[in-house]
Amino acid sequence: MVESSYKRFSYYLLLLPALILYLSIILFPIGMSSVLSLTKWKNFQMVGFIGLGNYVKLFADPGFLRALWNNVQIMLISVLGQIPLGIILAYVLYRKFVKGFKFYEMMIFMPITISSVVVALLWNRIFSPVGIYTYFVKWLTGNPDYVMRISESPYFAMVPLLFVLLWMHTSLYMVMFLANMQRIPKSSLEAAKMDGASESVILWRIVLPALANVIFTSSIFAISGSLKSFDLVFAMTGGGPVDYTNVMSIYLYKHTFTYNNYGYGSAVSLVIVILSVGLISLGRALYGQFQKKFD
Amino acid sequence: MDTLNEIPRGWKIFAQVFLILFTMMTLLPLVWMLYSSFKLQGEIMLYPMSLPKEPTVQNYLKAWNIGHMGSSFINSVIYAGISTALTVFLAVAASFSLTKFGYKSSKVYFSIFTLGLLVTVNSVIAPLFIMETRIGLYNTRIGVILPYITFGLPMAILLASSYIKGIPDSLIEAAIIDGANYLQIFWRIILVLSTPVVATIAILSFLRNWNEFVLVFILTSGDHMRSLPVSINSFAGRLNQDYGMQFAALTIGTLPMIMFYIGAHNMIIKGFGEGALKE
Repeated sequence: MVESSYKRFSYYLLLLPALILYLSIILFPIGMSSVLSLTKWKNFQMVGFIGLGNYVKLFADPGFLRALWNNVQIMLISVLGQIPLGIILAYVLYRKFVKGFKFYEMMIFMPITISSVVVALLWNRIFSPVGIYTYFVKWLTGNPDYVMRISESPYFAMVPLLFVLLWMHTSLYMVMFLANMQRIPKSSLEAAKMDGASESVILWRIVLPALANVIFTSSIFAISGSLKSFDLVFAMTGGGPVDYTNVMSIYLYKHTFTYNNYGYGSAVSLVIVILSVGLISLGRALYGQFQKKFD
Repeated sequence: MDTLNEIPRGWKIFAQVFLILFTMMTLLPLVWMLYSSFKLQGEIMLYPMSLPKEPTVQNYLKAWNIGHMGSSFINSVIYAGISTALTVFLAVAASFSLTKFGYKSSKVYFSIFTLGLLVTVNSVIAPLFIMETRIGLYNTRIGVILPYITFGLPMAILLASSYIKGIPDSLIEAAIIDGANYLQIFWRIILVLSTPVVATIAILSFLRNWNEFVLVFILTSGDHMRSLPVSINSFAGRLNQDYGMQFAALTIGTLPMIMFYIGAHNMIIKGFGEGALKE
């Protein structure tokens, strides 16, 4: 069977380069991460196994809990802010309520091409004493001495960041929803129009149910994405002032690369992976229940 | 049959206002950044909103030299270009083998790959750093490119397989009867027929790779290995007091992608839309 062994050879020749890269750069480090998370490090040297010690320390650290809470805020703004706004934008464009569909889609989607670092520094300037935001508030309130102080507040320091995240990612959902809305059969919309359905009926009864699956998948990705956010927060605030805007990945970065504790850092990264997988499975289960009810 | 007239006036006004607001929110910051980059520090402090009275390119010269942006730019082109090309090639090859060979193991490999969608750079960065330091890949270009490719693979394989699955088996069978071997089929049929999905994957990976930050930031040290986002980030710390220079650096970081976007916006928007359909 020369033919079949040649087939198997081709199979592996095509598959192996990708598989080897994947195993050595994603799977192997994850395995190594779980081992590292049980170790203690000092001065670039591993000094021994401490079992679950890192995890115990982690959940007792108010700094970590603060970072976790900030990630939850990012998650909320993604799911309850970016996705609904994305749906509204997509719907307005999909139904051609205004002329210049292509123009608006192109303009609104533009920030997606800009790197998070640039976005972060640009918005820092906008919020600075010489920025657009400050200028606008001065003009609106008539107070020439206004300076933005919200980022120094222990309770609201995340607000500017959340706003920028909204600015940056809403359009991604717009494009995803728009692409899926355009796949809804034209005939079902026309039939509804014939029956005299109003726009809100079309939105609630036809478009949203048809998108349920996509809305669910995007929420899943928004949730897992928000646990991992790093670039924007790192460049915009570095987690400060104090740790008011710290997120888990910056916490991870600091403990791993500033304090050189690879064990503790690995524990943080595993917590992020476990949370993300856990939330996704929970979401899947809930969605399964939800679908059963409607079938 | 939805013409503009059939839509209630209230909706139309709401929609118009909403879209204009969003467009302004996108455009204003970018336009402000662009013209401010031609103003000197004093003018920015005194008249933050006004257009430059005497436009100057001094900020650009300073940013370019102090931020080592020339070499960062070349590095970005190398990192994003090479890893995008290889991601696409490896993903199409793997997807062909996973979808058209009919082996049982394919399913297992495929789910291993898609599992990677959940893994981010952050969760492997500590072991990856240790690994690269031990085997001498730390602070090398190849040490950056390999993880770039790998982290692009899960999404690329997901997109490519669902496309290649749709290529009729009869084409492949006919080629085999004509005496072609599997590698020839990959090269002459699969790669050629996959052009649309190749374009989508290439655009998504190029954007992602061009803007990537963490990998270069952690796996390299020193200016000569940096990419554009990392060198721009240095303007956040030590160089953050010179606003004009910062605006120039940001503009240098933004313009290439905006130009790419203006040239290829149809494909980019379609690419993101398609990427979403397959998730």
